[in-house]
Amino acid sequence: MSTESPLVVLPGEVIDPSLIPTHKKNPLRLGPGLRHIPPSEIVPTVAGQLVVDHRKTSMWIEYNGGRYIPSQGDLIIGQIARSATDFYYVSLSPYTPNATLPHLAFESATKKTRPQLSPGELVYARVSLANRHMDPELECVNSSTGKADGLGPLKDGMVFDVSLGFARRLLMAKSREEGKVEVLEALGEEGLAFETAVGRNGKVWVGSESVKTVVVVGRALRETDERGLGVEAQRKLVKKLVREMR
Amino acid sequence: MPREAEPSANEKAFLLKALQDEQIRLDGREFDQYRPLELTFGDEYGVANVSLGKTKILAKASAEVTVPFADRPLDGIFTIATELSPMTAPHFEVNRPTETEVLLSRLLEKTVRRSGALDTESLCLVAGQKCWSVRVDVHVLSHDGNLTDAACFAVVAALRHFRKPDTSIENGVLTVYTPAEREPVPLGWLHSPFCVTWSFFGDEGETALLDADWMEEQVRVASVTISLNRHGEICQIAKLGGVPVEAVALLQCTSVALTKVKEFSTFLDGKLAEDAKRRDKGGFMAELRAENDRVVG
Repeated sequence: MSTESPLVVLPGEVIDPSLIPTHKKNPLRLGPGLRHIPPSEIVPTVAGQLVVDHRKTSMWIEYNGGRYIPSQGDLIIGQIARSATDFYYVSLSPYTPNATLPHLAFESATKKTRPQLSPGELVYARVSLANRHMDPELECVNSSTGKADGLGPLKDGMVFDVSLGFARRLLMAKSREEGKVEVLEALGEEGLAFETAVGRNGKVWVGSESVKTVVVVGRALRETDERGLGVEAQRKLVKKLVREMR
Repeated sequence: MPREAEPSANEKAFLLKALQDEQIRLDGREFDQYRPLELTFGDEYGVANVSLGKTKILAKASAEVTVPFADRPLDGIFTIATELSPMTAPHFEVNRPTETEVLLSRLLEKTVRRSGALDTESLCLVAGQKCWSVRVDVHVLSHDGNLTDAACFAVVAALRHFRKPDTSIENGVLTVYTPAEREPVPLGWLHSPFCVTWSFFGDEGETALLDADWMEEQVRVASVTISLNRHGEICQIAKLGGVPVEAVALLQCTSVALTKVKEFSTFLDGKLAEDAKRRDKGGFMAELRAENDRVVG
């Protein structure tokens, strides 16, 4: 990923053709936020930072929206709204249509051994189908391998709301360098024992033996998100919160 | 009408566990600590913008000349309008009052109107024919719990900040002066009541919290709203259903409420003084007051 200085674009702006990566064989791939108008126009549809990856010949826009729009392959934390005959209705965000999660979409589930989830419980699931015209569908198992990979119901713990952009940065593989998010690692270095699950729909579940640990982690995440702290500030915040706790 | 978003079972269980076992609130406040309270006034007289944490309320006071009620010819008219719209939260609908809305307007009514905070006799212009009708519109911009306390604070701030046009009567002819002709005058204000809401948790209501946010409100088992002014005069105490609470605990809540109301009162006085200083450029306000003698000639 190589950008000298972040280029912020607005919807409908014309993109300088020299920025578009070209390759002899690989076709250009467009990610979220860009639309191709044939024959040769590429137009952003959201406001955000234009990111170009020459190695993968792809470009997309990093933006922080308010509303979560499900896309295939996303990991999300949903809340069971109710149970129907063959599937659960799961709410991804309040006041939006529910997604469906089949009763048997769990690891090694049969009609007799499936998990019985009641309304209000949380699940960590992957979006298996999402398009504009249908309600999204979820699964708690990897359909090709049959393994759960950490998906499934989340017991105890507490879930915190974060902004969508922050959730995306937490989920990045190299969150320290690219996402500039070090909060969770810093908290772990201070000796707190906890586990987290990050949902792309703006929810982070934190579980731990100790209630105070969960509260501290939640406050650290919330402050980092709301105040937009950089890496140094995140470390200071973590030290301060851990000191207050002890 | 979309149904209200419910917190998940995990969140409810965790909140109760944190409160009862560990005695901590999720945002690290003390049990009797309010969220940061901010108050700003608008450029116009009578506009007060209050934010209590993430709960934001805008109150606007306005006045117009109208006919008084037939059964009260010597009193002016004073109304408080609170309408919760989808701007507050998506599950509220205009013109379809929910329990929250009805309770909010009833508590504001009892606290500010019925306690006589605003002297309605001072609003009368010509007995039986003309009087001022003062109206406060409360707009809830964002709902994160404890609408009552924030709304009451906003209403009192707006009314104390408001200035109505100056008037005079000569030979039965009423003249209402524009702000350009004569400086507007403040309303006849007798005392400043504030609301303090306590929320109870636990099977017997043992744990009591001040200023619950939205999540804590979803989980509480009872709540009591105490309205009083800084002299300790109680306007009303409302505990509408919920789990029964020990009487002694209720008395303790009232005495802590008095401390909080004194803090509110000092804070509001400070903000009003600051705003008056900001408007009083060059110190001419003292010259412009209508109570000064008119120089003839």
